[in-house]
Amino acid sequence: MSAGLDALKHVVVLMMENRSFDHMLGVLHAENPRINGLTGNEANPDTNNEPAQVQPNAAFQGELDPDPDHHFPAVNKQLFFGTPGPPAVPSMKGFVQSYWDQEHNVKQSRKIMYYFAADKLPVLHTLARNYAVFNGWFASIPGPTVCNRAFAHYGTSFGQASLNIFYVLEPYKSIYERMLAAGRTTKLYYFDPASSTQEVVNLLKNQPQIFATYGQFLEDCKSGNLPDYSFVEPNYSDHPGEDGGELPASDQHPDHDVQQGEVFMASVYNAIRQNPDLWKSTALLVTYDEHGGIYDHVPPPSCTPDGFHANLADTGGMPFAFDRLGVRVPSILISPWIAKGTVVPGPEDAANGRAFEHASIPATITGHFIGAYEQRTVREKGAQTFLDLLTDTMRPDEDCPSFGLD
Amino acid sequence: MAQPPVIRVPKPARSSYQPHRQLSKNTLILNQVKHFRELEKDLPLEDQSGLFEPLIGEGATEGQAAEYIRHVTKKLLRPAKKE
Repeated sequence: MSAGLDALKHVVVLMMENRSFDHMLGVLHAENPRINGLTGNEANPDTNNEPAQVQPNAAFQGELDPDPDHHFPAVNKQLFFGTPGPPAVPSMKGFVQSYWDQEHNVKQSRKIMYYFAADKLPVLHTLARNYAVFNGWFASIPGPTVCNRAFAHYGTSFGQASLNIFYVLEPYKSIYERMLAAGRTTKLYYFDPASSTQEVVNLLKNQPQIFATYGQFLEDCKSGNLPDYSFVEPNYSDHPGEDGGELPASDQHPDHDVQQGEVFMASVYNAIRQNPDLWKSTALLVTYDEHGGIYDHVPPPSCTPDGFHANLADTGGMPFAFDRLGVRVPSILISPWIAKGTVVPGPEDAANGRAFEHASIPATITGHFIGAYEQRTVREKGAQTFLDLLTDTMRPDEDCPSFGLD
Repeated sequence: MAQPPVIRVPKPARSSYQPHRQLSKNTLILNQVKHFRELEKDLPLEDQSGLFEPLIGEGATEGQAAEYIRHVTKKLLRPAKKE
């Protein structure tokens, strides 16, 4: 066991919304070729059969309106355009055509190839430069939010491949229920009651004790009362606060402002970073639920099926056995025990590459805090875990940045 | 003693706050509302909001959806009444 793992008392996961790896981090390939981002030459054909090349023109807001389609049939087109479809290797050539389907607007459809320029995202880019970037962290399903988030909570979506409500099936328990049953502490921190949770809402009804607000998260960090495992949800909507004032959405879901998400991410990081005891004993994972219909160049790999089959009504009639992953998303593991500039190889490295997905979250938390635990899906049991990235060396304080928030 | 580097985070534009954005533009929140309706149905009648129906029609806004979600979340998370 590494010294970093030995010191680890808390894991915090922050899951943002609907942005692909290349869209957010692709630009960093130019300064660190080990990051599997963009060369600048990647392109998709538009509906005039003209190449729509990636461009560093992504804007914080107002660009991806309408919200790009990321339901299963649309993602299938994004992945397999120009191929016979699964089990062929995804071409990653259908993102522009898929976005065109929504408004039949060629100019708008090409914006799906836009990515953020260097330092336009000072928080995410600073974290990527300073800690561990995963070249191969994929959404669990080539589909929308709710089913993907379910994998982070349960290690399965119970056969769901859409945004529809679903119910937990025995014998599987959420990671929070497992933690409590093992005598560990855990919280799911939602932003506030008006944003609430995107977790399968029956947990909200049946396990209310695991929920707390983001304000409580900040208090718990300050007072040193953070539980063993925390999952943080951003603000999903623009809404007024309880006492007035404006609370802008911070989830980065199009068309919410990406900068608001940067501020929120910095706030979560600072809350841990500014408590010295917490900082040296906590690992923070920042990840995204799925790609939101936005371009990425890495074909998602296959995975261990979880034993369920999707409803054909949700997949456009295509059989789907949860045996391949969704599009790649940004993921960064943060701790002073991680060497600066760590890049975790993905599918680009045939010898050493590792494919992570959201089932890696309950797999990691269960493995570290609970130990042997049988009642989980084969998919979760086979998922990669990430705490081996903690090293024996704790970086000095002056080597780990903090963020200045106005 | 050397200090850790501090990265300044720009403040987003005030105009990014748009609670009157059409709810139909964000299927995630629209579906969240539907999920919360399933839970609200199990609440005692006196705790039900009456805010759901307008949300599934045209013209509903993100801010209205948030108000509905706030209501149901608070009812679900309130401490249980003692018998």
